[in-house]
Amino acid sequence: MRRSISRQLTLGLTAILLLAGLLVVQTSFWLLEHGVRNYSQQRLQVQSRNLLASLIRDEDDQLIVNERHHDAVFLQPFSGHYFVIELEGTRWRSRSLWDFQLLPLPQESFAQGLIPGPLGQQLLLYTGEYRYADSKIRVTVAQDYSPILASFRRAQLMGVALGFVVLLMVLLGQRWLVRKALKPLENARQQLLQLQSGQRARLEQQVPEEMQPLVEQVNRLLVHTEERLKRSRNAVGNLGHALKTPLAVLTSLLARPELQAYPELLASLTEHLQQIEQRISREMARARLSGEALPGAYFDCGQELPSLIQLMNMIHGERLQFSWQAPAQLRLPWERDDMLEMLGNVLDNAGKWARSKVQLQITQQGPHIIIHVDDDGPGIEPQRREQVQQRGTRLDEQVQGHGLGLGIVRDIVDALAGTLTLDESPFGGLRVTLCLRLP
Amino acid sequence: MRLLLVEDNVALADDLCAGLKQLGYAVDWLVDGRDAAVQGAVEPYDLIILDLGLPGKSGMEVLQEWRANQITTPVLILTARSSWSERVDGLKAGADDYLTKPFHQEELFLRVQALLRRSHGFSNQTKIQVADLQLDEERQVAVQQGKEIILTAAEFSLLRYFMLHAGKLLSKGHLEEHLYAGELEPDSNVLEVHVSHLRRKLGKSCIETRRGQGYLFTGAPE
Repeated sequence: MRRSISRQLTLGLTAILLLAGLLVVQTSFWLLEHGVRNYSQQRLQVQSRNLLASLIRDEDDQLIVNERHHDAVFLQPFSGHYFVIELEGTRWRSRSLWDFQLLPLPQESFAQGLIPGPLGQQLLLYTGEYRYADSKIRVTVAQDYSPILASFRRAQLMGVALGFVVLLMVLLGQRWLVRKALKPLENARQQLLQLQSGQRARLEQQVPEEMQPLVEQVNRLLVHTEERLKRSRNAVGNLGHALKTPLAVLTSLLARPELQAYPELLASLTEHLQQIEQRISREMARARLSGEALPGAYFDCGQELPSLIQLMNMIHGERLQFSWQAPAQLRLPWERDDMLEMLGNVLDNAGKWARSKVQLQITQQGPHIIIHVDDDGPGIEPQRREQVQQRGTRLDEQVQGHGLGLGIVRDIVDALAGTLTLDESPFGGLRVTLCLRLP
Repeated sequence: MRLLLVEDNVALADDLCAGLKQLGYAVDWLVDGRDAAVQGAVEPYDLIILDLGLPGKSGMEVLQEWRANQITTPVLILTARSSWSERVDGLKAGADDYLTKPFHQEELFLRVQALLRRSHGFSNQTKIQVADLQLDEERQVAVQQGKEIILTAAEFSLLRYFMLHAGKLLSKGHLEEHLYAGELEPDSNVLEVHVSHLRRKLGKSCIETRRGQGYLFTGAPE
């Protein structure tokens, strides 16, 4: 999975909140429980001392426990409050103990942990030793601690639930915050996608200051690339002009009557001039290619194709009918000059061979743009087609006539990482199919 | 037919001028784009051959200026810039045809003829035909009812102008301006002489004279 800032933030925050929450909840419960237990133990101590006061002598001067002097809870069976008093072999047990044997501790202390009591009760136990009229008296008191434990557990459960609710709320809040904070990033991402698909020429400049340098830099690069392309095309154009005008003069000189007396010389000159011209045209076209260097460039079919078709009709118009079909408002994410050069050459080539019509058809199939150019000319035999389609074969050398133009088309298609295939057209002639993958 | 050639390469322009004159066109030649912008807008040219890489002002700007000023003269662009995008741009700027350098003279001449025919309503025809009179521009002869009629260069260019403007009233001044680039003496009767020669060869009624107004070509024999 690709790294995502918002996912990373959510994961990190969840982990931290969970850990911290558990720590806080556990510690606070532990502290609270500790305090309550301490308090209960102190009360037990007080209770054991108070029980001394309920020891009285009856008419026979025997020591007895006066039931009116201690709490009523000691009378109710299994009430959760118990005592055992031992004095020189005599034992008094609270009525609440009923038939349960409560074992006093050997010396004055609190019992370690909780002692199992009757009916599954869990007892806190304290044994105190006092002197009473020169004799040693041992008072053991116990209290059922399980109701407190149960209520603690309930509270703990509620605490955890509450903790989860809070965690959820914090996460939702954080998500909202992160979304809001990352919105400019998301916007920039969308705009970059639009840029790539040619629906936008620049990134929006209104962004938070953290992103300002990034956006500015991207825009500057875009301008820079465009300008460089324009400049280099201009330079290529000038060079072409400088080379081709003298070529035009030479070609024009070939028509001079003086030269007609030397047909061989004339033929050789013509051939070589043609070679030079083809070479220049090919290299110029190659140098003009922008390929995929320019994001933000696009080709508006509805705007450009009518002019191109009109131009074709003008050039081959005396005998040919050119037509085109493309989905309405189709925008191709490639540079206009490249597309015009590619389509222009394929159409022009078809125009050289067609008898009556040439059709250009552009369709979108999933992530591919398919371009068919059909003519009703003689076509190319299948064996020859295969030879032509082999990579690296120079079309201009291999197939006479389907020459220079298709060579340049192959260059452009290669630069756009597409494919060029030759087939038989439904009209009987050649079908050139260009398949380009949308970025 | 009066043509304007705007081309800054002297050798090429010389050659083209010579060739075009041989074909019976009156040719003016300019080098600078600024001159071309003015002269193309003022003089009544039948066709303009315009190079794009010009000193002073680029051919594309000159063309846009003309079209913005409602100058509808057919323009053939001549350029070393062979990319299709530039051709499309030229077309959008208002060019009527496009030829890339280097080219063979014959190709340019054929394009010029075709463009002139097209701009006078003879589209999709390789020959100019009015009534049963046909003009073979390559061989500079007229064919009437299967019979070839030999023409002099002056007669040929006059007949071509008449045939392209068949059925239209053409004043003497208009014809002189378009055929002789205004180089004739004011009282010259050269035009009358050529008209009478044509009448003798093609039949009297093929060119009507409207007294005080000019000539009207009908192409009708006898």
